[in-house]
Amino acid sequence: MKKIGVVRFLGTNCDRDIWQACEARGHEPVWLWHEDQFDINTVDAVIIPGGFSYGDYLRCGAIAAKSPVMKSVTEFAKAGCPVLGICNGFQILCEVGLLPGVLVANDHGKFIDTWVELKQENACQPWAGEKMNCRLPVAHGEGRYQLSEQELALVKERGQVWWSYKENPNGSVESIAGVMNENKNVAGLMPHPERAMFDWMGGNDGFSFF
Amino acid sequence: MNLQENLKRYRISQSEYELICEQLGRPPEGIEWALYSALWSEHCSYKSSKVHLKKLFSKSERVLQSFGENAGVIDLGQGERVAFKMESHNHPSFLEPYQGAATGVGGILRDIFTMGARPVALGNYLCFGEPHADRMPELVKGVVSGISGYGNCVGVPNITGQTEFHESYNGNILVNAFALGLFRPGEKVFTSQAEGEGNLVVYVGAKTGGDGVHGASMASESFDDDNEAKKPNVQIGDPFFEKLLIESCIEVMNQGLVVAIQDMGAAGLTSSSFEMSSNGGVGFDIALDKVPLRDSRMTPEEILLSESQERMLLICKPENLPALKDVFERWSLDATSIGHVTKEKVIRLTWKNEELCSIDPDNLVENAPLYNRPYKKWVPQNRTESKDVSVLVDDLQNYQEQLLKCLSDVRGCSRNWVYDQYDQRVGAQTIADCRQDVGVIRLPDSERALSVALGCRPYVMRLDSHEGGKDSVAFPALELASKGFEAMAVTDCLNFGNPEKEELMTEFVASVQGMSQACEALNAPIISGNVSLYNETKDENVTSTPSTGIVGLRDSVYGPASMVEKNDEVVVLLSKVQLKTGGQYAEMQKQPLRAFGELCPQKTANFVKDVKSFINTYEISSSKVVGKFGLAYSLARMTLGSVGMSVKTDEVLPAMNFSEKYFSENLYQVVVTLSQETYSQIADQKFDFELVKIGRTGGNHLNIDNKISIPLEELKQSYFTGWGDHFESLA
Repeated sequence: MKKIGVVRFLGTNCDRDIWQACEARGHEPVWLWHEDQFDINTVDAVIIPGGFSYGDYLRCGAIAAKSPVMKSVTEFAKAGCPVLGICNGFQILCEVGLLPGVLVANDHGKFIDTWVELKQENACQPWAGEKMNCRLPVAHGEGRYQLSEQELALVKERGQVWWSYKENPNGSVESIAGVMNENKNVAGLMPHPERAMFDWMGGNDGFSFF
Repeated sequence: MNLQENLKRYRISQSEYELICEQLGRPPEGIEWALYSALWSEHCSYKSSKVHLKKLFSKSERVLQSFGENAGVIDLGQGERVAFKMESHNHPSFLEPYQGAATGVGGILRDIFTMGARPVALGNYLCFGEPHADRMPELVKGVVSGISGYGNCVGVPNITGQTEFHESYNGNILVNAFALGLFRPGEKVFTSQAEGEGNLVVYVGAKTGGDGVHGASMASESFDDDNEAKKPNVQIGDPFFEKLLIESCIEVMNQGLVVAIQDMGAAGLTSSSFEMSSNGGVGFDIALDKVPLRDSRMTPEEILLSESQERMLLICKPENLPALKDVFERWSLDATSIGHVTKEKVIRLTWKNEELCSIDPDNLVENAPLYNRPYKKWVPQNRTESKDVSVLVDDLQNYQEQLLKCLSDVRGCSRNWVYDQYDQRVGAQTIADCRQDVGVIRLPDSERALSVALGCRPYVMRLDSHEGGKDSVAFPALELASKGFEAMAVTDCLNFGNPEKEELMTEFVASVQGMSQACEALNAPIISGNVSLYNETKDENVTSTPSTGIVGLRDSVYGPASMVEKNDEVVVLLSKVQLKTGGQYAEMQKQPLRAFGELCPQKTANFVKDVKSFINTYEISSSKVVGKFGLAYSLARMTLGSVGMSVKTDEVLPAMNFSEKYFSENLYQVVVTLSQETYSQIADQKFDFELVKIGRTGGNHLNIDNKISIPLEELKQSYFTGWGDHFESLA
């Protein structure tokens, strides 16, 4: 059992879903409120759930990146502890610079809700280490992963690409669905593993992520 | 301003003016004009429909709250209860599709969490004009992105939808939003009944601005050439604020800091304050200058009538105000005391210590005018003496083409372009999404399944309003039953044209009676809803469209699939046919709609119950109610996955010709697939409906009676690319 900090911003809307997923795996979730910094020794891992933090004002993740709680998350990540960002959480981790690249509007200009097939490019030990292929739901308007050619080469060389889409739903470069930091303790992905925990949800491939 | 100008400006009729003078003992003055204008509007007062709504079947042992509050509430047992309602936002959506649809979603969500329930499911029922009609692609795009932009951000999954197209909506589209909220065990149901002399009247949420002023009376009028001039009446929404409002309101309610609460919807502060006061039998003293404003130049009248979004009015004890403010502040929202509750049932409005009016709220709410508008006794429409109502198609090749045409037609093609833009799984309780026959979520405490099915098939309404009304309830109830759900209760959204026209009022009465009869037979009461009249443009009325949302309950989270998934299963047709019509296919072929027979509400309800118990007794792999375009189309929809089907009925159903069997609609029939073993259990059983084995699953074709043999890939091609053929600009 791990103690998992679940970050809540104004506008986060997958917070209770992550809570449910953590409990389903026997972990102990605790809330981390956006206005508060926290003691990095009090949790074993941190998850930044999806949603529309601060209403996606300015651009998605931009305001959240400047919040007090992210100071602590950054400190936690720099100490080598596991951090996972899902959907808007992934966008925030990119904005704050813990993950490379940036997420912009889908190439077709629309929000997309569908199931996607994913291939694991490189393992991320703390999160879903062993799964090689999985099927998860996506739901986002701004999920097109972008980074410069130079950065992309570096990210690939260092084995930081975590998941790629088998069929690209949003125009992401090289169909990238999730990436890690160089140290591989911080990871982010656009698909929602917490929405694929049990058969009744339509699939259970998300179970091993938590 | 002279009298005639005032009557025009405030959209008050001469006879209503006289009634106001009688109530007050003098002509209305100052701000009173605005109050009467808003609260006596059709939209707020239901003055043309109320006499008929009162007759609706609306009670059962499960109903905890019926009409009269923001939403109806039913008891699901095991401590779980749900609040749900459906509401129209037709007029604003036609003027400004994105904001109109978005604020429709926002408004219906507030109706739900006002009751204390956390919103957990959304649905939408949309009627558009023909794809090539003026502005239509733009309206479709705007409405869908409005719903998507708002619903996705607030984090409530959109689990079901129905999208219709017909020329009668070319000048007046329909946008109906459904929302459902869950009370978990121990959570309290809140009402709008204000009480407690000295308690505070607290304004929370977004600041008041000039948007939506006179929106309610605008929505109570027909469209004309001057639609552009009505645009400023449309409200602007911000889903981020709504999300904060949901979280903060639920938090203060759970902490016991709230006495009563009401959202500011149509006619904003006016309707919320007058209804809370009238419902609770107490008075309010409100200082309008304390209302938080976005624009300091606003007049008292504009403040009263503004329909700015994401605002609530609540009553709290004075000693709880600091704790209440703390919660709202934590969620970055303002909570401002703007007045207090008084003993005598009088609303006193002041502006900088000067009294603007002092009036009995019952004058405006309880004693609003009621009209029993003229209507005629219903005479069945479009009936024939011949049982064969089919549209004839001759040769074999043609049948194949016709089926593919149904699949690619705008009435029959995939709506995934719409649904893929909605977040259907946020909340992590979704069991079946918009792509399935009915939307299903899981109840987290009891681990049961709750379903929402939307109803009203406009072409059945065009056939006969009385039968169409029954079908608006019976068809979705049967869809629920086909997945093993029991229909619990109903919400409706009555979209009609001009009630001052006798033929329209006749359709209204006939269809509402039909709905109510169907509900009573099913013991599924109508517990909430809304009425939208004057859906007409330049004298052209929309199809009378009483849309419904029915909520069903099932013990297991697992049930039959919508598509065939297993090979070598038996395909069985369950029937109890009472009404036969050429239906959607006849309409597509531009043939007259005709029908034979009529629906008996009790027989239909019995069939619904029998199907439900059949589904729950035997192991059923997949199921589908035979709906628009008839049996062939339904079988095709079941084979859009990876498993095909071969059906042969010339021996088992010899009485009907091919067109009758496969392209007409025989109300009602259900197709199910089950294993050989299960079939052997039922083969010799007697049921109160007709049960016929019609074929077998497997292969990669859909084969029907040696006349149709289509590869699954071709079916999918037609079904999934149809949308893009009709809406090139949206594909």
